[in-house]
Amino acid sequence: MTYWPGWVGGIALALVMIVHWFGVGRMMAVSGRVTAIVDRLRFGRAEDEEEEMSEAELLAALRAETTATFGPDAVKEATLETTDERHSSARRSPQPFATHPLLFVAMGAGGLLATTGGATSTWMLHGKGFVNLVGGSQAVAAIVLFFGGVLVGFGTRMAGGCTSGHGLCGVSRGERGSLLATMAFFGAGVVTSFVLGSLL
Amino acid sequence: MSTRALRDLAGVALVGVGLGYALSRIGFSSWDEVHAMFTFQKFDLMIAFVVGLVVLVPVWAVVRKVSRPRWLPRPIHQGTLIGGLLFGAGWALSGACPSIAAVQIGEGQLGGFFTLAGMFGGNFLYSLAHERWFRWSTTSCVED
Repeated sequence: MTYWPGWVGGIALALVMIVHWFGVGRMMAVSGRVTAIVDRLRFGRAEDEEEEMSEAELLAALRAETTATFGPDAVKEATLETTDERHSSARRSPQPFATHPLLFVAMGAGGLLATTGGATSTWMLHGKGFVNLVGGSQAVAAIVLFFGGVLVGFGTRMAGGCTSGHGLCGVSRGERGSLLATMAFFGAGVVTSFVLGSLL
Repeated sequence: MSTRALRDLAGVALVGVGLGYALSRIGFSSWDEVHAMFTFQKFDLMIAFVVGLVVLVPVWAVVRKVSRPRWLPRPIHQGTLIGGLLFGAGWALSGACPSIAAVQIGEGQLGGFFTLAGMFGGNFLYSLAHERWFRWSTTSCVED
């Protein structure tokens, strides 16, 4: 497997984040979508997602209600305000829940496309280093991966972001929390990898 | 379904396939490549991350000026440092940041299923721990 040179990869990653911003109207945040799925499983549908009205219907209903209560002048004033706000706030309403699982399925499809049918499916990760680490045992591999995954899930929710939301999109916006989180996870990755490397 | 919902779904599908493909071709879905990055034996993954940042900085600066978006600030809070450290340790161990498990499964590295299960489990565990002990605001990315 030959990989892309780093700079090509960097441009591709940036493009993905930019397309997400313009296409979906919010910052890319993969761990945030994990949180959304977990919370949905815990608490069921959020109230705002049960809203069956489209935005246009909602606006019409609001307008009718405002006219009834405050008279037509109030509607004019309110409309002026909302058009002013429209640019920034119209995109912040909740996304359909299906976008969250869809992202993970789509990323899997991207991985499938990238291997172009050449790879075989195994319950082990491919690559000699990992196979060495777990002594070739699938049971040990499963435990290491599950435990590592727990740390990833716990840590990203605790820090409020991961490599996409904090690392790429937060740091590039100059967010201090993102900078600290990113230094922390790269630092811990380096230390942990050197410890693991001494076991290989 | 409203047109915006359809746009969101189409956008996420496109971005997901693109991100999965790119991560795979860069080498981020390979445990060995991630290990080589963290132990400074290979630099392409690190370069990809840094070049991504270098491209994004001016793009967000322009977006901020032109459309004045309401991006939630990401201040430092009590969970930032410790959460980041735990995530980094988990990334080095499993070879996966949150996008990667799904990409690995698509590639036929089905071990990614264990990572994926652990990741959702860990996220759930944190939500319990947070309600019981912590309670600070973690400003989750999903609101951005």
